[in-house]
Amino acid sequence: MMGVLEVKQLYKSFGKREVLCGLDMDIPEHSIFGFVGSNGAGKTTTMKIILGLLKSNSGDITVCGEKVSYGETKTNRHIGYLPDVPEFYGYMRSMEYLKLCGEITGLSKTQMKTKSEELLSLVGLADEKRKIGGFSRGMKQRLGIAQALLGEPELLICDEPTSALDPVGRKEILDILLSIKGKTTVVFSTHILSDVERICDHVAVLHKGRLALYGTLSEIREHHRHNSFTIEFSNREELSLFADCEELKRPSINQSNNGNTITVTVADIKSGGHFLIDLLSKKQMTPVRFEIMEPTLESLFTEVVQ
Amino acid sequence: MNYYFAFLKKEFLESIRTYKMLMMLLVFFAFGIMNPLIAKLTPDLLNAITLEGMTITLAEPSAFDSWTQFFKNISQMGVIVMVIVFSGVLGTELSKGTLINMLTKGLSRAAVILSKYTCMAFIWTMSIAISFIVTWGYTVYLFPGDALDNLLFSVFCLWLFGMFLLALLLFTATLVKNNYGCLLITGAVIVVCMLLNVIPPVQKYNPLSLATRNMDLLMNTIEISALYSTIWIAVALSMVFVALSVLIFRKKQL
Repeated sequence: MMGVLEVKQLYKSFGKREVLCGLDMDIPEHSIFGFVGSNGAGKTTTMKIILGLLKSNSGDITVCGEKVSYGETKTNRHIGYLPDVPEFYGYMRSMEYLKLCGEITGLSKTQMKTKSEELLSLVGLADEKRKIGGFSRGMKQRLGIAQALLGEPELLICDEPTSALDPVGRKEILDILLSIKGKTTVVFSTHILSDVERICDHVAVLHKGRLALYGTLSEIREHHRHNSFTIEFSNREELSLFADCEELKRPSINQSNNGNTITVTVADIKSGGHFLIDLLSKKQMTPVRFEIMEPTLESLFTEVVQ
Repeated sequence: MNYYFAFLKKEFLESIRTYKMLMMLLVFFAFGIMNPLIAKLTPDLLNAITLEGMTITLAEPSAFDSWTQFFKNISQMGVIVMVIVFSGVLGTELSKGTLINMLTKGLSRAAVILSKYTCMAFIWTMSIAISFIVTWGYTVYLFPGDALDNLLFSVFCLWLFGMFLLALLLFTATLVKNNYGCLLITGAVIVVCMLLNVIPPVQKYNPLSLATRNMDLLMNTIEISALYSTIWIAVALSMVFVALSVLIFRKKQL
């Protein structure tokens, strides 16, 4: 599978401050790519370089196989961009704005009309007659998505599209992004990890100018799994009965408990699991909950960022 | 070319909906009415103020006084209003980020500069035309029979000076990000032109002469040909400024 966006050894510094030092990224087609990083990690800078708005110190970027050059770049016709705080001409109405965008993108009149109407209803602004100046932030964000999708781009880049929105607005934006999956590759930067878990299939964590974590969500989870099981009992007595079992007193097994829950770490997830289930049935005990401990994205994020 | 017309339409819409065009036209219309009126009423006003034992005698006002007012008002207040109205032409869009969306859609940066210049030039031309027509009509009505030499040429010079200023303004807007910086540099250039104008040999090549020698043209104290070199220089400089704006803006980090 060819990458829609490839970034190789990207370096960028502002004065003496190095923001990106050797960033490598490869974004496969039709994925929703979550680009995570703390504030000031360089997410916006990376995106602006991809769009040719900022000049990198060194490094190569290709979009759909074409090389990005600084300044006016042809690769932008493959890209739809939603800035973190999208600003529009406040004196226009949304339809007029999309018309202007359409003229610039080079759509024909009929294409423009059908596409604009389709997009405005997708983002729920079809019946909005006000000028953009009177829009709320969420509405501007939604119009931002509509304008970004107007040219049917192969790549949609969204810079923190959900950061400033209320829960309903956030859900709406995420739903829109999810609904265009399959047609368009989406790269969106955020520091809201639950958003990433909800819609992304690929994640990258940017830290100290490099990717500290990269892969599909399940890959990352698998890779960082700690071979632990959580077993919850209905009361403390049952828990201590289980915890005091001779079979668990082995050097390869660690346990720690908290309330009615015990966490057991074993050497191997498969045989360890069988062993625990066997032990439970041998002791004639039924736990309330028995599960493999999955690392949360949050715990992984804090782990790599520290 | 498509970019240019698409963005030009947006520029006109913007000037209309943000009342820039209306403001310019109204101000210049007001100047147009004021010029002949002030010329006509000044002697009466002075007569009304009777100072003890002092009589101020003024010559009977003529069309000449009316046009003196026109060139004075437009070349000073008019030009200042114009520069202030247009000072945010690029800076506002850059600081708000409205242009980013357009540029990432593939809008060429040359089209941005050229369409902005075209729109400003159009509004300036309309404004000075309104002011001229109103002043002219009113002057003919109030002071019939007075004929003047070189009137149209003189107005053309003033118009060209405005075009030169707009090119300068656009150029400075690509150099600095905020509107005040842009105003400041444009103002500084004008001050330098004024200082240089003190040296007689420079006057011939100083674009500022286009806005200061108008009455001399009307009075026939200088020949039309005396301003030819100034005109060529102003035209050349305007073109250079616009071209430089395009070149600089193409490579600007946004």
